Amino acid sequence: MKVFFYNLGYFILEAFRTIRFHPLSNLFSFLGTGFILFLFGLVLTGWAVGDELVGALEQEAQVSAYFADQVGEAGAKQIITKMKTLDGVWEARYVTAGEAYAKNRELLGNEAEILRLFDNNPFEAFVEIKIDLNKMDQVLSQISSMKGIEYVRDNRDILEKLKGIVDAIKLLGGVIAAAVGITTLVIISHMIRQGIYHNKEQINTLRLLGAPNSFIAFPFVMAGLLLTLLGGGLAAALIIVMMNQGYQSIGEYIMFLPLPPAQELCRFIVAIILGISAALGLVGSLFGVSSIQKEG
Amino acid sequence: MIEANDVALTYSDGTKALKNVNLKIGPGELVYITGHSGSGKTSLLKLLMGIEFPSSGKLTVLGQRMKKGNDRKLRKLRRKIGPVFQEFKLIERRTALENVMIGMRILGIPPRKMKQEAMEALKKVGLEHKLHTPVEHLSWGEAQRVAIARAVVRKPALLIADEPTGNLDHNNALNILHILNSFRDEKTAVIITTHATHLIEGQDATYIRVQEGEITIEQRRVAG
Repeated sequence: MKVFFYNLGYFILEAFRTIRFHPLSNLFSFLGTGFILFLFGLVLTGWAVGDELVGALEQEAQVSAYFADQVGEAGAKQIITKMKTLDGVWEARYVTAGEAYAKNRELLGNEAEILRLFDNNPFEAFVEIKIDLNKMDQVLSQISSMKGIEYVRDNRDILEKLKGIVDAIKLLGGVIAAAVGITTLVIISHMIRQGIYHNKEQINTLRLLGAPNSFIAFPFVMAGLLLTLLGGGLAAALIIVMMNQGYQSIGEYIMFLPLPPAQELCRFIVAIILGISAALGLVGSLFGVSSIQKEG
Repeated sequence: MIEANDVALTYSDGTKALKNVNLKIGPGELVYITGHSGSGKTSLLKLLMGIEFPSSGKLTVLGQRMKKGNDRKLRKLRRKIGPVFQEFKLIERRTALENVMIGMRILGIPPRKMKQEAMEALKKVGLEHKLHTPVEHLSWGEAQRVAIARAVVRKPALLIADEPTGNLDHNNALNILHILNSFRDEKTAVIITTHATHLIEGQDATYIRVQEGEITIEQRRVAG
Protein backbone atom coordinates (compact mmCIF):
# COMPACT_ATOMS: atom_id res chain seq x y z
CA MET A 1 0.00 0.00 0.00
CA LYS A 2 2.89 2.32 0.92
CA VAL A 3 4.48 1.65 -2.48
CA PHE A 4 1.17 2.50 -4.16
CA PHE A 5 0.67 5.84 -2.38
CA TYR A 6 4.26 6.99 -2.74
CA ASN A 7 4.16 6.21 -6.44
CA LEU A 8 0.69 7.42 -7.38
CA GLY A 9 2.10 10.41 -9.25
CA TYR A 10 4.52 8.13 -11.06
CA PHE A 11 1.73 5.74 -12.07
CA ILE A 12 -0.34 8.60 -13.50
CA LEU A 13 2.66 9.98 -15.36
CA GLU A 14 3.50 6.52 -16.72
CA ALA A 15 -0.11 6.03 -17.84
CA PHE A 16 0.06 9.28 -19.83
CA ARG A 17 3.45 8.25 -21.20
CA THR A 18 2.07 4.89 -22.33
CA ILE A 19 -0.58 6.78 -24.26
CA ARG A 20 1.75 9.51 -25.55
CA PHE A 21 4.51 7.20 -26.77
CA HIS A 22 2.17 5.39 -29.16
CA PRO A 23 -0.13 8.22 -30.23
CA LEU A 24 -1.49 6.76 -33.45
CA SER A 25 -2.52 3.35 -32.13
CA ASN A 26 -3.97 4.98 -29.01
CA LEU A 27 -5.85 7.53 -31.11
CA PHE A 28 -7.43 4.67 -33.06
CA SER A 29 -8.24 2.85 -29.83
CA PHE A 30 -9.85 6.01 -28.44
CA LEU A 31 -11.88 6.58 -31.61
CA GLY A 32 -12.77 2.89 -31.88
CA THR A 33 -13.91 2.73 -28.27
CA GLY A 34 -15.75 6.03 -28.65
CA PHE A 35 -17.69 4.88 -31.70
CA ILE A 36 -18.47 1.48 -30.24
CA LEU A 37 -19.77 3.11 -27.07
CA PHE A 38 -21.73 5.54 -29.26
CA LEU A 39 -23.29 2.51 -30.95
CA PHE A 40 -24.02 1.16 -27.52
CA GLY A 41 -25.66 4.50 -26.69
CA LEU A 42 -27.77 4.20 -29.83
CA VAL A 43 -28.77 0.69 -28.82
CA LEU A 44 -29.68 2.01 -25.38
CA THR A 45 -31.74 4.78 -26.96
CA GLY A 46 -33.45 2.19 -29.15
CA TRP A 47 -33.97 0.04 -26.11
CA ALA A 48 -35.49 2.90 -24.13
CA VAL A 49 -37.82 3.76 -27.02
CA GLY A 50 -38.56 0.05 -27.46
CA ASP A 51 -39.26 -0.23 -23.76
CA GLU A 52 -41.71 2.65 -24.02
CA LEU A 53 -43.29 0.94 -27.03
CA VAL A 54 -43.39 -2.38 -25.20
CA GLY A 55 -45.02 -0.67 -22.26
CA ALA A 56 -47.61 0.89 -24.56
CA LEU A 57 -48.20 -2.42 -26.35
CA GLU A 58 -48.53 -4.23 -23.06
CA GLN A 59 -51.13 -1.69 -21.97
CA GLU A 60 -53.13 -2.61 -25.06
CA ALA A 61 -53.33 -6.29 -24.12
CA GLN A 62 -57.03 -6.56 -23.60
CA VAL A 63 -59.68 -9.28 -23.27
CA SER A 64 -63.48 -9.11 -23.11
CA ALA A 65 -65.62 -11.12 -20.69
CA TYR A 66 -69.38 -11.61 -21.22
CA PHE A 67 -71.85 -12.12 -18.44
CA ALA A 68 -74.31 -14.97 -17.99
CA ASP A 69 -77.96 -14.07 -18.75
CA GLN A 70 -79.13 -13.84 -15.14
CA VAL A 71 -76.46 -11.28 -14.16
CA GLY A 72 -77.91 -7.82 -13.96
CA GLU A 73 -76.00 -4.49 -13.97
CA ALA A 74 -75.50 -4.56 -10.20
CA GLY A 75 -74.21 -8.15 -10.33
CA ALA A 76 -71.91 -7.24 -13.21
CA LYS A 77 -70.41 -4.38 -11.22
CA GLN A 78 -69.77 -6.72 -8.28
CA ILE A 79 -67.98 -9.15 -10.60
CA ILE A 80 -65.87 -6.29 -11.97
CA THR A 81 -64.89 -5.17 -8.47
CA LYS A 82 -63.75 -8.73 -7.73
CA MET A 83 -61.99 -8.93 -11.08
CA LYS A 84 -59.92 -5.84 -10.30
CA THR A 85 -58.40 -7.60 -7.29
CA LEU A 86 -56.97 -10.42 -9.44
CA ASP A 87 -53.19 -10.50 -9.87
CA GLY A 88 -52.41 -9.60 -13.49
CA VAL A 89 -55.49 -7.45 -14.06
CA TRP A 90 -54.54 -3.82 -14.64
CA GLU A 91 -57.96 -2.42 -15.41
CA ALA A 92 -61.51 -3.71 -15.74
CA ARG A 93 -64.25 -1.49 -17.17
CA TYR A 94 -67.98 -2.12 -17.56
CA VAL A 95 -69.12 -1.53 -21.14
CA THR A 96 -72.88 -1.08 -21.45
CA ALA A 97 -74.85 -2.61 -24.32
CA GLY A 98 -75.35 0.89 -25.77
CA GLU A 99 -71.63 1.61 -25.63
CA ALA A 100 -70.93 -1.76 -27.26
CA TYR A 101 -73.34 -0.86 -30.07
CA ALA A 102 -71.64 2.51 -30.64
CA LYS A 103 -68.20 0.93 -30.64
CA ASN A 104 -69.14 -1.68 -33.20
CA ARG A 105 -70.87 0.89 -35.34
CA GLU A 106 -67.62 2.82 -35.44
CA LEU A 107 -65.65 -0.32 -36.17
CA LEU A 108 -67.89 -1.38 -39.03
CA GLY A 109 -67.65 2.01 -40.72
CA ASN A 110 -69.50 1.91 -44.07
CA GLU A 111 -70.81 -1.55 -43.24
CA ALA A 112 -72.58 -0.19 -40.13
CA GLU A 113 -75.81 0.09 -42.11
CA ILE A 114 -76.27 -3.62 -41.51
CA LEU A 115 -77.09 -2.84 -37.87
CA ARG A 116 -80.33 -1.14 -38.99
CA LEU A 117 -81.67 -4.61 -39.88
CA PHE A 118 -81.94 -5.39 -36.14
CA ASP A 119 -85.00 -4.22 -34.21
CA ASN A 120 -83.12 -4.39 -30.95
CA ASN A 121 -79.51 -3.82 -30.01
CA PRO A 122 -77.78 -7.14 -30.83
CA PHE A 123 -74.84 -6.38 -28.54
CA GLU A 124 -74.63 -7.24 -24.88
CA ALA A 125 -72.93 -5.43 -22.03
CA PHE A 126 -69.50 -6.85 -21.25
CA VAL A 127 -66.38 -6.13 -19.28
CA GLU A 128 -63.24 -4.80 -20.95
CA ILE A 129 -60.13 -6.06 -19.10
CA LYS A 130 -56.58 -4.86 -19.60
CA ILE A 131 -54.15 -7.55 -18.48
CA ASP A 132 -50.48 -8.19 -17.83
CA LEU A 133 -49.23 -10.14 -20.84
CA ASN A 134 -46.79 -12.12 -18.74
CA LYS A 135 -49.68 -13.46 -16.63
CA MET A 136 -52.02 -14.01 -19.54
CA ASP A 137 -52.76 -17.73 -19.01
CA GLN A 138 -53.30 -17.38 -15.27
CA VAL A 139 -55.61 -14.37 -15.64
CA LEU A 140 -57.69 -15.93 -18.43
CA SER A 141 -58.22 -19.10 -16.44
CA GLN A 142 -59.27 -17.15 -13.33
CA ILE A 143 -61.68 -14.91 -15.24
CA SER A 144 -63.24 -17.85 -17.12
CA SER A 145 -63.93 -19.66 -13.87
CA MET A 146 -65.59 -16.67 -12.16
CA LYS A 147 -69.21 -17.10 -11.25
CA GLY A 148 -71.46 -15.02 -13.55
CA ILE A 149 -69.01 -15.06 -16.47
CA GLU A 150 -70.23 -17.09 -19.39
CA TYR A 151 -67.64 -16.48 -22.03
CA VAL A 152 -64.24 -14.82 -22.41
CA ARG A 153 -63.05 -13.55 -25.77
CA ASP A 154 -59.31 -13.61 -25.28
CA ASN A 155 -57.84 -12.82 -28.73
CA ARG A 156 -55.16 -15.31 -27.69
CA ASP A 157 -53.48 -15.32 -31.12
CA ILE A 158 -53.05 -11.57 -31.10
CA LEU A 159 -51.92 -11.52 -27.49
CA GLU A 160 -49.34 -14.21 -28.15
CA LYS A 161 -48.01 -12.35 -31.18
CA LEU A 162 -47.81 -9.21 -29.10
CA LYS A 163 -45.90 -11.06 -26.42
CA GLY A 164 -43.56 -12.46 -29.09
CA ILE A 165 -42.81 -8.96 -30.39
CA VAL A 166 -42.12 -7.69 -26.88
CA ASP A 167 -39.80 -10.61 -26.11
CA ALA A 168 -37.99 -10.22 -29.44
CA ILE A 169 -37.33 -6.52 -28.81
CA LYS A 170 -35.94 -7.32 -25.36
CA LEU A 171 -33.78 -10.19 -26.67
CA LEU A 172 -32.40 -8.10 -29.55
CA GLY A 173 -31.48 -5.32 -27.15
CA GLY A 174 -29.72 -7.80 -24.87
CA VAL A 175 -27.79 -9.41 -27.73
CA ILE A 176 -26.63 -6.05 -29.12
CA ALA A 177 -25.62 -4.83 -25.65
CA ALA A 178 -23.63 -8.04 -25.07
CA ALA A 179 -21.96 -7.75 -28.51
CA VAL A 180 -20.95 -4.14 -27.86
CA GLY A 181 -19.66 -5.04 -24.38
CA ILE A 182 -17.56 -7.94 -25.67
CA THR A 183 -16.17 -5.88 -28.57
CA THR A 184 -15.14 -3.08 -26.22
CA LEU A 185 -13.48 -5.58 -23.89
CA VAL A 186 -11.56 -7.10 -26.79
CA ILE A 187 -10.42 -3.69 -28.08
CA ILE A 188 -9.28 -2.51 -24.67
CA SER A 189 -7.49 -5.71 -23.71
CA HIS A 190 -5.82 -5.79 -27.15
CA MET A 191 -4.74 -2.19 -26.71
CA ILE A 192 -3.25 -2.99 -23.29
CA ARG A 193 -1.49 -6.05 -24.63
CA GLN A 194 -0.02 -3.89 -27.41
CA GLY A 195 1.19 -1.43 -24.79
CA ILE A 196 2.76 -4.29 -22.84
CA TYR A 197 4.39 -5.62 -26.01
CA HIS A 198 5.83 -2.19 -26.87
CA ASN A 199 7.16 -1.87 -23.32
CA LYS A 200 8.38 -5.42 -22.81
CA GLU A 201 11.99 -4.31 -22.29
CA GLN A 202 10.94 -1.90 -19.58
CA ILE A 203 8.71 -4.54 -17.97
CA ASN A 204 11.56 -7.03 -18.01
CA THR A 205 13.87 -4.50 -16.33
CA LEU A 206 11.31 -3.76 -13.63
CA ARG A 207 10.92 -7.47 -13.07
CA LEU A 208 14.66 -7.91 -12.68
CA LEU A 209 14.68 -5.09 -10.15
CA GLY A 210 12.08 -6.99 -8.12
CA ALA A 211 8.93 -5.05 -9.04
CA PRO A 212 5.70 -6.82 -8.12
CA ASN A 213 3.20 -7.48 -10.91
CA SER A 214 0.81 -4.88 -9.52
CA PHE A 215 3.54 -2.20 -9.74
CA ILE A 216 4.22 -3.11 -13.38
CA ALA A 217 0.56 -3.44 -14.34
CA PHE A 218 -0.91 -0.38 -12.64
CA PRO A 219 0.12 2.26 -15.23
CA PHE A 220 -1.25 0.05 -18.02
CA VAL A 221 -4.56 -0.41 -16.20
CA MET A 222 -4.74 3.37 -15.68
CA ALA A 223 -3.95 4.02 -19.35
CA GLY A 224 -6.67 1.58 -20.43
CA LEU A 225 -9.16 3.10 -18.02
CA LEU A 226 -8.29 6.62 -19.15
CA LEU A 227 -8.61 5.79 -22.86
CA THR A 228 -11.92 4.02 -22.37
CA LEU A 229 -13.27 6.88 -20.28
CA LEU A 230 -12.19 9.31 -23.02
CA GLY A 231 -13.95 7.03 -25.53
CA GLY A 232 -16.99 7.10 -23.24
CA GLY A 233 -16.78 10.91 -23.16
CA LEU A 234 -16.70 11.03 -26.96
CA ALA A 235 -19.68 8.67 -27.16
CA ALA A 236 -21.59 10.73 -24.58
CA ALA A 237 -20.89 13.93 -26.53
CA LEU A 238 -22.14 12.32 -29.75
CA ILE A 239 -25.25 11.07 -27.98
CA ILE A 240 -26.00 14.55 -26.62
CA VAL A 241 -25.60 16.03 -30.11
CA MET A 242 -27.82 13.31 -31.58
CA MET A 243 -30.46 13.83 -28.91
CA ASN A 244 -30.50 17.57 -29.47
CA GLN A 245 -30.60 17.33 -33.24
CA GLY A 246 -32.45 14.24 -34.28
CA TYR A 247 -34.48 12.75 -31.45
CA GLN A 248 -37.61 14.86 -31.72
CA SER A 249 -37.75 14.41 -35.48
CA ILE A 250 -38.19 10.65 -34.95
CA GLY A 251 -41.43 11.45 -33.14
CA GLU A 252 -42.50 13.76 -35.94
CA TYR A 253 -41.93 11.12 -38.63
CA ILE A 254 -43.33 8.14 -36.76
CA MET A 255 -46.36 9.55 -35.04
CA PHE A 256 -47.51 6.34 -33.37
CA LEU A 257 -44.15 5.76 -31.68
CA PRO A 258 -44.26 6.78 -28.02
CA LEU A 259 -40.96 8.49 -27.06
CA PRO A 260 -39.58 8.89 -23.55
CA PRO A 261 -38.71 12.51 -22.55
CA ALA A 262 -35.50 13.53 -24.38
CA GLN A 263 -33.59 15.21 -21.52
CA GLU A 264 -34.30 12.47 -19.03
CA LEU A 265 -33.28 9.82 -21.54
CA CYS A 266 -30.13 11.74 -22.49
CA ARG A 267 -29.01 12.03 -18.85
CA PHE A 268 -29.70 8.34 -18.29
CA ILE A 269 -27.76 7.23 -21.38
CA VAL A 270 -24.77 9.51 -20.70
CA ALA A 271 -24.55 8.18 -17.13
CA ILE A 272 -24.80 4.58 -18.34
CA ILE A 273 -22.16 5.11 -21.06
CA LEU A 274 -19.68 6.69 -18.66
CA GLY A 275 -20.32 3.98 -16.06
CA ILE A 276 -20.05 1.20 -18.62
CA SER A 277 -16.90 2.70 -20.17
CA ALA A 278 -15.22 2.84 -16.74
CA ALA A 279 -16.26 -0.73 -15.96
CA LEU A 280 -15.26 -2.04 -19.40
CA GLY A 281 -11.98 -0.11 -19.25
CA LEU A 282 -11.15 -1.63 -15.90
CA VAL A 283 -12.13 -5.19 -16.83
CA GLY A 284 -10.50 -4.95 -20.29
CA SER A 285 -7.29 -3.56 -18.79
CA LEU A 286 -7.16 -6.26 -16.13
CA PHE A 287 -7.74 -8.83 -18.83
CA GLY A 288 -4.97 -7.23 -20.89
CA VAL A 289 -2.45 -7.13 -18.05
CA SER A 290 -3.13 -10.76 -17.21
CA SER A 291 -0.35 -11.48 -19.73
CA ILE A 292 2.07 -9.87 -17.25
CA GLN A 293 0.90 -12.23 -14.52
CA LYS A 294 1.20 -15.25 -16.83
CA GLU A 295 4.82 -14.46 -17.59
CA GLY A 296 5.50 -14.54 -13.86
CA MET B 1 25.33 -14.80 1.83
CA ILE B 2 25.81 -17.04 -1.22
CA GLU B 3 26.35 -20.76 -1.02
CA ALA B 4 26.45 -23.15 -3.97
CA ASN B 5 26.81 -26.92 -3.57
CA ASP B 6 27.33 -29.03 -6.68
CA VAL B 7 25.27 -26.62 -8.76
CA ALA B 8 24.82 -27.34 -12.46
CA LEU B 9 22.95 -25.42 -15.12
CA THR B 10 21.82 -27.03 -18.35
CA TYR B 11 19.73 -24.96 -20.76
CA SER B 12 16.62 -26.39 -22.39
CA ASP B 13 18.53 -26.93 -25.67
CA GLY B 14 20.92 -29.24 -23.82
CA THR B 15 23.80 -26.78 -23.48
CA LYS B 16 25.66 -27.43 -20.26
CA ALA B 17 26.49 -23.91 -19.05
CA LEU B 18 27.76 -24.74 -15.56
CA LYS B 19 28.97 -27.91 -13.91
CA ASN B 20 29.74 -28.81 -10.35
CA VAL B 21 29.85 -25.27 -8.94
CA ASN B 22 30.81 -25.08 -5.28
CA LEU B 23 31.40 -21.70 -3.69
CA LYS B 24 30.74 -19.54 -0.69
CA ILE B 25 30.65 -15.74 -0.73
CA GLY B 26 30.28 -13.74 2.46
CA PRO B 27 29.24 -10.15 3.25
CA GLY B 28 31.73 -7.45 2.33
CA GLU B 29 33.55 -9.69 -0.11
CA LEU B 30 34.77 -8.43 -3.50
CA VAL B 31 34.60 -11.18 -6.10
CA TYR B 32 35.89 -11.06 -9.64
CA ILE B 33 34.62 -13.70 -12.01
CA THR B 34 36.82 -14.04 -15.03
CA GLY B 35 36.78 -16.21 -18.10
CA HIS B 36 36.49 -16.08 -21.87
CA SER B 37 33.29 -15.22 -23.66
CA GLY B 38 30.87 -18.13 -23.43
CA SER B 39 32.72 -19.69 -20.51
CA GLY B 40 29.68 -19.45 -18.21
CA LYS B 41 30.28 -16.17 -16.32
CA THR B 42 26.93 -14.63 -17.23
CA SER B 43 25.16 -17.95 -16.58
CA LEU B 44 26.57 -17.90 -13.06
CA LEU B 45 25.25 -14.36 -12.53
CA LYS B 46 21.88 -15.37 -13.96
CA LEU B 47 21.69 -18.08 -11.31
CA LEU B 48 22.53 -15.57 -8.57
CA MET B 49 19.81 -13.17 -9.76
CA GLY B 50 17.19 -15.86 -10.24
CA ILE B 51 16.97 -15.40 -14.00
CA GLU B 52 17.93 -19.05 -14.36
CA PHE B 53 17.65 -21.84 -11.81
CA PRO B 54 20.00 -24.73 -11.03
CA SER B 55 19.30 -27.92 -12.97
CA SER B 56 20.83 -29.79 -10.05
CA GLY B 57 22.57 -29.02 -6.77
CA LYS B 58 21.66 -26.48 -4.13
CA LEU B 59 22.07 -22.73 -4.40
CA THR B 60 21.19 -20.25 -1.65
CA VAL B 61 21.39 -16.48 -2.18
CA LEU B 62 20.81 -14.13 0.78
CA GLY B 63 19.12 -16.97 2.63
CA GLN B 64 16.79 -17.76 -0.27
CA ARG B 65 16.93 -21.20 -1.86
CA MET B 66 16.98 -20.64 -5.59
CA LYS B 67 14.39 -22.82 -7.27
CA LYS B 68 11.64 -22.33 -9.77
CA GLY B 69 8.08 -21.50 -8.81
CA ASN B 70 8.42 -19.06 -5.97
CA ASP B 71 7.93 -15.76 -7.74
CA ARG B 72 6.96 -13.78 -4.66
CA LYS B 73 10.10 -14.74 -2.73
CA LEU B 74 12.20 -14.24 -5.84
CA ARG B 75 10.91 -10.69 -6.28
CA LYS B 76 11.70 -9.96 -2.63
CA LEU B 77 15.21 -11.31 -3.13
CA ARG B 78 15.75 -9.20 -6.25
CA ARG B 79 14.92 -6.09 -4.23
CA LYS B 80 18.01 -6.83 -2.11
CA ILE B 81 20.26 -7.14 -5.16
CA GLY B 82 21.75 -4.25 -7.12
CA PRO B 83 22.25 -5.50 -10.67
CA VAL B 84 24.35 -3.76 -13.32
CA PHE B 85 23.54 -5.51 -16.55
CA GLN B 86 25.92 -5.90 -19.44
CA GLU B 87 23.52 -4.01 -21.71
CA PHE B 88 22.51 -1.71 -18.77
CA LYS B 89 18.74 -2.20 -19.23
CA LEU B 90 18.01 1.46 -18.66
CA ILE B 91 14.49 2.58 -19.43
CA GLU B 92 14.47 4.68 -22.57
CA ARG B 93 12.76 8.05 -22.84
CA ARG B 94 13.32 8.56 -19.15
CA THR B 95 15.99 10.78 -17.66
CA ALA B 96 19.02 9.55 -15.74
CA LEU B 97 17.35 10.65 -12.50
CA GLU B 98 14.10 8.83 -13.33
CA ASN B 99 16.06 5.68 -14.13
CA VAL B 100 17.84 5.76 -10.80
CA MET B 101 14.62 6.48 -8.93
CA ILE B 102 12.76 3.58 -10.53
CA GLY B 103 14.83 1.08 -8.58
CA MET B 104 13.87 2.86 -5.36
CA ARG B 105 10.17 3.22 -6.16
CA ILE B 106 9.78 -0.53 -5.95
CA LEU B 107 11.11 -0.41 -2.39
CA GLY B 108 8.48 2.12 -1.30
CA ILE B 109 10.88 4.93 -0.35
CA PRO B 110 9.15 8.30 0.31
CA PRO B 111 9.34 10.54 -2.80
CA ARG B 112 11.43 13.36 -1.32
CA LYS B 113 14.01 11.01 0.20
CA MET B 114 14.05 8.98 -3.01
CA LYS B 115 14.85 12.01 -5.17
CA GLN B 116 17.53 13.25 -2.81
CA GLU B 117 19.28 9.88 -2.60
CA ALA B 118 19.04 9.34 -6.36
CA MET B 119 20.67 12.72 -6.96
CA GLU B 120 23.42 11.88 -4.49
CA ALA B 121 24.04 8.53 -6.19
CA LEU B 122 24.32 10.21 -9.57
CA LYS B 123 26.67 12.76 -8.07
CA LYS B 124 28.80 9.95 -6.68
CA VAL B 125 29.22 8.48 -10.16
CA GLY B 126 30.01 11.93 -11.57
CA LEU B 127 26.76 12.60 -13.37
CA GLU B 128 25.31 15.47 -11.35
CA HIS B 129 25.23 17.55 -14.55
CA LYS B 130 23.18 14.93 -16.45
CA LEU B 131 20.30 14.41 -14.02
CA HIS B 132 17.61 15.42 -16.49
CA THR B 133 19.17 14.05 -19.64
CA PRO B 134 17.23 11.24 -21.33
CA VAL B 135 19.36 8.11 -21.12
CA GLU B 136 19.43 7.58 -24.89
CA HIS B 137 21.38 10.86 -25.14
CA LEU B 138 24.12 9.63 -22.81
CA SER B 139 27.44 8.12 -23.89
CA TRP B 140 28.17 4.44 -23.25
CA GLY B 141 30.23 5.21 -20.17
CA GLU B 142 27.64 7.65 -18.79
CA ALA B 143 24.83 5.15 -19.31
CA GLN B 144 26.88 2.57 -17.47
CA ARG B 145 27.35 4.94 -14.56
CA VAL B 146 23.58 5.55 -14.44
CA ALA B 147 23.12 1.76 -14.26
CA ILE B 148 25.62 1.62 -11.40
CA ALA B 149 23.87 4.49 -9.58
CA ARG B 150 20.54 2.67 -10.01
CA ALA B 151 22.04 -0.48 -8.53
CA VAL B 152 23.82 1.07 -5.56
CA VAL B 153 21.18 3.62 -4.55
CA ARG B 154 19.04 0.79 -3.18
CA LYS B 155 21.84 -0.07 -0.72
CA PRO B 156 21.79 -3.68 -1.82
CA ALA B 157 23.22 -6.57 0.14
CA LEU B 158 24.63 -7.88 -3.11
CA LEU B 159 25.95 -5.74 -5.96
CA ILE B 160 26.32 -7.69 -9.19
CA ALA B 161 27.91 -6.22 -12.31
CA ASP B 162 28.10 -8.14 -15.56
CA GLU B 163 31.05 -7.13 -17.76
CA PRO B 164 31.10 -3.49 -16.66
CA THR B 165 34.43 -2.93 -18.38
CA GLY B 166 33.34 -4.21 -21.78
CA ASN B 167 33.46 -1.64 -24.60
CA LEU B 168 35.36 0.85 -22.43
CA ASP B 169 38.88 2.17 -22.88
CA HIS B 170 41.51 1.44 -20.23
CA ASN B 171 40.98 4.60 -18.16
CA ASN B 172 37.19 4.48 -18.21
CA ALA B 173 37.24 0.78 -17.34
CA LEU B 174 39.50 1.45 -14.36
CA ASN B 175 37.25 4.29 -13.30
CA ILE B 176 34.16 2.05 -13.42
CA LEU B 177 35.88 -0.67 -11.38
CA HIS B 178 36.97 1.95 -8.88
CA ILE B 179 33.38 3.24 -8.54
CA LEU B 180 32.01 -0.28 -8.06
CA ASN B 181 34.64 -1.12 -5.45
CA SER B 182 33.83 2.03 -3.55
CA PHE B 183 30.36 0.68 -2.75
CA ARG B 184 31.73 -2.40 -1.09
CA ASP B 185 31.37 -2.28 2.67
CA GLU B 186 31.02 -4.71 5.58
CA LYS B 187 27.45 -5.55 4.54
CA THR B 188 27.59 -5.38 0.77
CA ALA B 189 29.31 -8.03 -1.31
CA VAL B 190 30.34 -6.98 -4.81
CA ILE B 191 30.52 -9.49 -7.65
CA ILE B 192 31.97 -8.39 -10.98
CA THR B 193 32.44 -10.43 -14.12
CA THR B 194 35.11 -9.36 -16.57
CA HIS B 195 37.46 -10.82 -19.12
CA ALA B 196 39.86 -7.87 -18.70
CA THR B 197 42.06 -9.65 -16.15
CA HIS B 198 44.86 -7.11 -16.48
CA LEU B 199 42.61 -4.47 -14.83
CA ILE B 200 41.92 -6.41 -11.67
CA GLU B 201 45.20 -7.96 -10.71
CA GLY B 202 46.59 -7.72 -7.19
CA GLN B 203 43.49 -6.58 -5.38
CA ASP B 204 42.12 -7.60 -2.03
CA ALA B 205 39.52 -9.80 -3.67
CA THR B 206 38.38 -13.30 -4.47
CA TYR B 207 39.09 -14.38 -8.06
CA ILE B 208 36.92 -17.02 -9.60
CA ARG B 209 37.88 -18.36 -12.98
CA VAL B 210 35.18 -19.95 -15.14
CA GLN B 211 36.27 -22.28 -17.90
CA GLU B 212 33.86 -24.39 -19.95
CA GLY B 213 31.27 -24.21 -17.16
CA GLU B 214 33.59 -25.20 -14.34
CA ILE B 215 34.86 -22.80 -11.74
CA THR B 216 38.22 -22.51 -10.06
CA ILE B 217 38.72 -20.25 -7.08
CA GLU B 218 42.15 -18.84 -7.74
CA GLN B 219 42.66 -16.56 -4.79
CA ARG B 220 40.50 -15.88 -1.77
CA ARG B 221 40.81 -12.83 0.40
CA VAL B 222 38.00 -11.64 2.57
CA ALA B 223 37.85 -7.96 3.25
CA GLY B 224 38.09 -6.85 6.72
